[in-house]
This record gives sequence, C-alpha cells and structure tokens, in this order.
Amino acid sequence: MPNKNGSVYGLTILSPIIDDDKATPSHDLQIRDYLARLSTREDSPFAVAPGTHLARLVVLDDVIYVGMPACEEHLKSKYLIFESNCDGDLDGYLHGLADTIADHLDAIWKHCVGYPGAANRQAFVDYMKACQLNTTFYFAAVNDKSVEETLRALQTKTAVADFIATHQGADPATLQREFIRFAAELKARPIPRPGSMGPLRDIKTGGHNE
Amino acid sequence: MSKLNATDIQGFVLRGYNLPVARYLFLHFESAPRARSLIARLLAHVTTGQRWDGSKPKITVNIAFTHRGLVHLELPDATLLSFPVEFQQGMKHRSEILGDCGVNAPERWEAIWREDRVHAWLGINALTPDALDARCSAMVSDIEETGGAIVLGSQDAAAVVIDGKPTTKEHFGYTDGFGNPDYLGVERSSQPGQGKLMPNGSWAPLATGELLLGYADEAGEIPVGPVPHLLASNGTFMVYRKLHQNVATFRGFLERQAAAYAGGKEKLAAKFIGRWRDGTPIELAPDHPDPSIAQDPNRNTNFTYGADAEGTRCPIGAHIRRVHPRDAFGFNGRLINRRRITRRGLPYGRFAAEGDPVSDTEDRGVIFMALNASISRQFEFVQQQWVQYGNDAHLGNDKDPLMGNHGGHGRFVVQGDLSRANPPLICSHLPDFVELRGGDYFFLPSITALGMIAMGLVDPR
Repeated sequence: MPNKNGSVYGLTILSPIIDDDKATPSHDLQIRDYLARLSTREDSPFAVAPGTHLARLVVLDDVIYVGMPACEEHLKSKYLIFESNCDGDLDGYLHGLADTIADHLDAIWKHCVGYPGAANRQAFVDYMKACQLNTTFYFAAVNDKSVEETLRALQTKTAVADFIATHQGADPATLQREFIRFAAELKARPIPRPGSMGPLRDIKTGGHNE
Repeated sequence: MSKLNATDIQGFVLRGYNLPVARYLFLHFESAPRARSLIARLLAHVTTGQRWDGSKPKITVNIAFTHRGLVHLELPDATLLSFPVEFQQGMKHRSEILGDCGVNAPERWEAIWREDRVHAWLGINALTPDALDARCSAMVSDIEETGGAIVLGSQDAAAVVIDGKPTTKEHFGYTDGFGNPDYLGVERSSQPGQGKLMPNGSWAPLATGELLLGYADEAGEIPVGPVPHLLASNGTFMVYRKLHQNVATFRGFLERQAAAYAGGKEKLAAKFIGRWRDGTPIELAPDHPDPSIAQDPNRNTNFTYGADAEGTRCPIGAHIRRVHPRDAFGFNGRLINRRRITRRGLPYGRFAAEGDPVSDTEDRGVIFMALNASISRQFEFVQQQWVQYGNDAHLGNDKDPLMGNHGGHGRFVVQGDLSRANPPLICSHLPDFVELRGGDYFFLPSITALGMIAMGLVDPR
C-alpha cells in the first residue's frame, strides 16, 4: 500500500513548471527566489497550515547522470517537487492547505502549468491529485502520532525534565503536592506552535557539515 | 595492505611519543625560496615513524602547515585548490559549524590565532626541559640564519608531574589518553577496544585511510587529498586547539552537585567522563575505581555499552560514551567507524592538586591535537554532532558535559537505578568548563612530500 504508513501520509507531487522563454526571470527562478525566503520555523507555511510533520519543496531542473560512460538524458520539463509527511487523509490535508496558506500556494504554484488557484477549491484538489505520484518509501519517524500529539509529547518531555531538575531531593509530600499542581498546569498549557520547539541554531548541516 | 613505509611517515602520526615536555613553535613565512631552504634544513631533523627498537630518542621534531602556509610556500594553484574545503578555509572560518561561539568565539582567541598569520607548526617533544631548550634555541638560530621564517610565538606543554613522575593526568584530575584507535599497518602494541567492533565481539584495526591519506578508508575509498597523489600519500590532517580549563568552576560545580548526590563526589566526577579519575571505566567498575582494571591494557578499553542501554552504569551523555559510542548505534559500527580521530596532546600550565587554591584565570588547559584523514568527516562531525549536540545519543539538545559550549544553560542527566548508591541526578545550568583559545587546521605531510615542498618539486600535472 503506497502513501500510507499507519496514520501518516507520504505525499509526493510533481508539477511541471511553465516553460516561457519570454518570462524574465524564468518561472523556475521565480519559484527558487520565493522558496529561498520562506521561514523554516514558526512562520513557515507548513507550520501555519495544519497537519505537516515535515515538508520539502524542490525545483528539479533536469536529470544529470553522474558516472562513466556519461549518457545524456533530459526531462521534458522542469518540475516543482512537493514532498510532505502529513496527518490523515489527502483530501483533508489539501483542504487545510487551501484554507490557511492559499497566498503561499498561489505564489509558488502560479508558475506551474495548469494550476487553477487555491480559491477554486475542487479544481485545486483535483490538480494536486493529478500531479501526485505514489510514495512507496518515506521517512516516518513520528511513531504513528499526529502533529499535535507529537508537539504535546515534546512539550511534556521538556516540562517533566525541568520539573525533575528543579525538584530533586524534595521530600515526598512536597514532591507529590508540587507534581499534582505541575500536572494540572501542564495539562492546561496550549499546544506549542509547530516549528517552535527546535533549538535556535545557526549551524547549517549538510553533506560536508556546511 | 600489509605494512606501512614507516620511514616515510612523520613519527607524530604513528605514535604518541610519551615524552614529558613539548614546545610548539608557530612560524610565519616571508619569502618562499628562503622558507623552502629552511624546510630543507629541518628535513634532516624530522622524526619519522621508524621503529625505535629500544633506543628511544630524547627529542623529536615534526612539522605541519596551514593552507595559508602552503600558499606562502608557493605551491602550484592546482595543488592548493585540490585540498579539502575545510582545510582551505581554516578553523576560524569553520567556527559556526564547530559551535565555536560565545566564550569560544574567534574574537576571543589569542592574538596569534586571530591574525591569520600562522603558516607552520613545529612540534618538538623532549625527555627533559634542558634538552627541549637546547634543541629549540638551535632551531630558532637555524630559522634566523636562513631567514626562512619569523617565529610568531610558541606554546609550551608538559605532562602533569605528580610525586616527581610524569603522568597522563589532565587538570580536572582525570587520567587521559586511553581512547586512540588502532589502524591497519600501524605497528603499535594494540589493545582490545581501540579499533572497530566486529560482529563476533572482537576488535579489529580501522582501515589505514581513516588516518593516512593515500590508503583505502572504512568505505573502501581513498580519502580526498591534494594532487599530486605523492604530496598527499602518507600525510594526514591535524586539528590544533588550545583548550583553557576553568578548574575553579569545575571543582565548585562538582562540589555543589555532589552535595545532592548520594553516590558521592568521586562517583559523580566519574559519571561526567565515563571513567573514574584513575582511568577505570565506570562501565566495568560502576561502584569504585579498580587499579587492576585501569592499568590492564587488555581491560581498560575493552568494553561496550550494549548491556547498559539505560546508562545506569555509564551515563549516555558521559564524555567517552559520546565521542566513542562503540556498539551504541548498531549497523555493525558503520555509523561510528568513519568518525574516529587520533588524539595527541599534552596539558599546559601549572597543575593544581586537589585542595590547592585555584582560579579560572590562571593559564592552564590542554593542547588538543587530533589527526584524521578528513577533518570534516571525522573531527568536525564529532565536535558538531556528538560534543555540541545530543540527537544521536537520544539526548535532545544536551551537549557534552565537560566539552560543551553551555553558556550556563547546559544540562547533564546521570541515569540511575533504585539502589541508594546509584541514584539518578539531573545537573542543570552547566557552565563552560572548557574554553577555546585558538588553533587551526594543519597538513602534516610525509617525508617525501616535505622534500618535494623543500625542493619546489610539487607538480600537479
């Protein structure tokens, strides 16, 4: 069964980018420019829209064969690749995107062939599904929990670690009293915003730790 | 691959000299021809990896270059551009990748490392301070006579002497220097636990190419090195870091945390590093130090963490468990065997025995020198992922308790069990126990390559 692993959905969408030699800068560069400016933290469109565990947008220019002897092959078009690991069923997810980040979707996909716009809801969902490829193997390191459950678990882990650190050595009665108060307070806390719980790190990681 | 040509490899690469005093001279080249003639003159004194067979020298000399130094030696552009990017950039430029920020930021380094002027490292190890002084002054006259270089500065280092005997202790009081890997072809008295862990539980030497350029590494690839091959082969890269130790901060923190720890101060100190201060692995002797283990080469590095998945003996975040996870990650060690480094180095500054008054401002620490075939894949990865981060060890954002750049916000979890003497403890608000004072990345060429550099024979075509 492609695309589903427990409650997590693996979505892959390939949308051909408009090839217009009169467009300056070209449509693919305009997408690259827009993507390069997106936040990767709380303000990321995929943190604002519900249900995304992780998502990636890539502009695929062409295929390059690395090896010997080299053989030359080309794609018919440049593509925008959208990969997302998300909660629940596909229709609900796509509607959620259109409900919350229509401006971002339009700004990115308007450079793609045949994109109808997010305002035309049914056409939008049909378009995305028409561009979908089956996903057979994907990263699903979320223990079959929803985004909200995962955020709540992270919040609980951090809060409990802090509680233990500040209550080491307390006598049992105090500890129980404080823990009951802490547990009630924790339960009442709002779920943290997606993208807000990572460390603030300037380090850019990559193949060469760059 | 059976046996290395040890006479073509600098001795510093193949063995820890175990000589008690050292001085590192930092040179700046002004004219390429004069610098080359200086190297030609030094070449005769460079200590090779040749076996000593009972007649251990009283003095050793080794040499290494920064990329800037090789530029000033006027190596061909095609050669200079073929070095790995991180070596071309130098350590200062890599500070973000390494987490060298806050108190460790380059702006706070010693002037010699801020100024981008160091071209070469000349490492002299000796049996006695007198021998060291004599050799160094002869060398400095050589340098002045040839006009081959300016000596920008020097760094003295020495084994900590206790009761008149040089030891392998460092300033926090731990016995150091257990963890160097074995490599195929390197002749040395190998011991179990120092190479890579095999599926049957035995230990085997790592591929030569993890240490030396020109040989296959653990992936079966020849490490990235400069062209021509002859310049790279039998050489390696060295990371030099001057690490100041805040001994007063360390002692005060340990004292305060131990007050709330039923296991006692020495056990807590052992939990930080994974070894009791005498070197006994806490994994093997969780309750007390055991000299019969610490001094037995068949036992003192011979252990794994598989039976201690919860970290109740050796905490999961303890220093030695982080930087050499042994069997921790599965996949037959494939996630570990390409991240090993060889450490050389000595403490500097006056040793303050336990109980002696100390202050953080006194100049003491350790000169950390790491050798590896790929600085980015080996040293930088270990520093970034295993020292300054905790994800691989399932410790979230926690850093190495002793080496981490904590800025007062660090946390270290000592896992425990239900016994009274081994309770869990969470140490919070970890300060910076260690501060980086500078350093750089160096290329340590083979003897052949030194000759090529000295004679202007480096030809990438």
